[in-house]
Amino acid sequence: MVTNKLSTPIAEFNGVSFKYPTGPEVLKDIQLSLQPGSFYFMTGESGAGKTSLLSLLYLNNMPTKGRIRLFGYALDTLTREAKAQIRRQIGVVFQDYRLLDHLNAFDNVALPLRISGTREQDIKKHVRELLAWVGLEKQLDKYPHELSGGEKQRVAIARAVINRPRLLLADEPTGNVDDAMAKRLIYLFLELNKLGTTTVIATHNHNLIKHFGFPRLHLSHGHIEAVEKNNSTNKG
Amino acid sequence: MKKRTDIPFSSDSSKFFIPWLSMFMVFIATLILAIAIVVYSSVQSWTSNISGTLTVQIPTYTDKGESREEQINKDIEMTLTLLRSSDGITGATLLSDSQMATLMEPWLGQSDTINELPLPKIIDVNADPNNFPNIRRLKADLFDQVPEAILDSHRAALSDLVAFFENMVHLIAFILLLILITTALSVIYVTKSSMSVHQKVIELIHMMGASDFYITIQFAMRSFKLTLIGSLIGFLLAIPIMVLFDYFLRQMSSSFVLESTLNPAQWLILISIPFLTAVLSFLTAYRTVSKTLKQTL
Repeated sequence: MVTNKLSTPIAEFNGVSFKYPTGPEVLKDIQLSLQPGSFYFMTGESGAGKTSLLSLLYLNNMPTKGRIRLFGYALDTLTREAKAQIRRQIGVVFQDYRLLDHLNAFDNVALPLRISGTREQDIKKHVRELLAWVGLEKQLDKYPHELSGGEKQRVAIARAVINRPRLLLADEPTGNVDDAMAKRLIYLFLELNKLGTTTVIATHNHNLIKHFGFPRLHLSHGHIEAVEKNNSTNKG
Repeated sequence: MKKRTDIPFSSDSSKFFIPWLSMFMVFIATLILAIAIVVYSSVQSWTSNISGTLTVQIPTYTDKGESREEQINKDIEMTLTLLRSSDGITGATLLSDSQMATLMEPWLGQSDTINELPLPKIIDVNADPNNFPNIRRLKADLFDQVPEAILDSHRAALSDLVAFFENMVHLIAFILLLILITTALSVIYVTKSSMSVHQKVIELIHMMGASDFYITIQFAMRSFKLTLIGSLIGFLLAIPIMVLFDYFLRQMSSSFVLESTLNPAQWLILISIPFLTAVLSFLTAYRTVSKTLKQTL
């Protein structure tokens, strides 16, 4: 069902507003278009709406106003099964990792592949390769409580990218690692980006933003206030 | 190798609650269903044995002890004619003296004394079970023509007992229904509480693109396995009780009215209980999770 047309924006927000059931509006009249293969940093103060915007992108919430299209499909018209298919094309790295404590590093990373029905022998091959790539080849059997913060983060990143997602969303993925590891992780995202994955990384790390110089979506008080170095997004 | 599951079921209380609950429910269900089967079979057996039989007695002596020898042949003739012409009667035969002697043999032994006893003449009547005669009307007609004749309907005599046991079977069926409903409600409760415990994991795998079926089947299979384990234990525990029950019925068989032995088909029905309970648990958990997931995005 998913279109492969390169011209179709990966994500489009038309007049999107969002509020939690009890609380003020956290996103207001957002206009946004993410082009395939683009790479963005998302910045903004705490509470500016970065996590909320990401949660709309990975279909954890629906807008209270406006319309979102992902991969060309209007979310409000999709069936539950179609939404599940869309979600399988999105990788998410959470600020708090959200690893499953009862699964070891291997099984945590393998989870998206099992959900999408990949054969077990392919899972073994891909997961081992990817964990080796993020430097965790010796931690395959380790459970989250046996891993350091940085190792958990890399497992979370590996889990997000194992399916070669079309859209990768990361919420403070470098929050618990040093600058050297942070850069290494961004390079990993870049590798994926080169393969066509549209990437949005929410971060407070100004060194990274400065170092890589990718376009920036800046959120302030629920509005996208500035988009720098890229014309593919519209000011909301 | 331990089977991996995406949802950490081992950390919730369902692994204890469901097996214990299903063990207890299946234990009770097996026993009462066995009783219901025994009672139902016995009732079926009695009704089929007696469904087509009636008897008419014609006294050979009056209440005052005077012989009715002159009247008796005429009464017999009139009774036979009336019976044979009645709707629903397929045959009427006067029992001979030798047949009477055979019938009385268990009480009187083999002797000629039977001919000296004031026994009534017995007419064996066969009735059509599908078109059973109206006993009240038949009695009235008989009374008009042969006032001394007494019509015995075995069906009527046993009807109260049959009705009692039939009601008992209905009551057992109702109790079984209550057990099923209780089991299903408990599975719903346990499944919902399990979903609540694992809400964050469910949200995570849902967010990764897991379909409703992917999540639902894990809960349903878990419920099925736990119920099957508990149910089989409950069934095995019920077997010695049934064997003991069967033993006591056999001991009483000469004086007791119930048939004790279960046939292979009836055993099959009992053996199916644990599996049917596990299927019920599977379907209930499946529906509960499916319905709950539909309330999410």
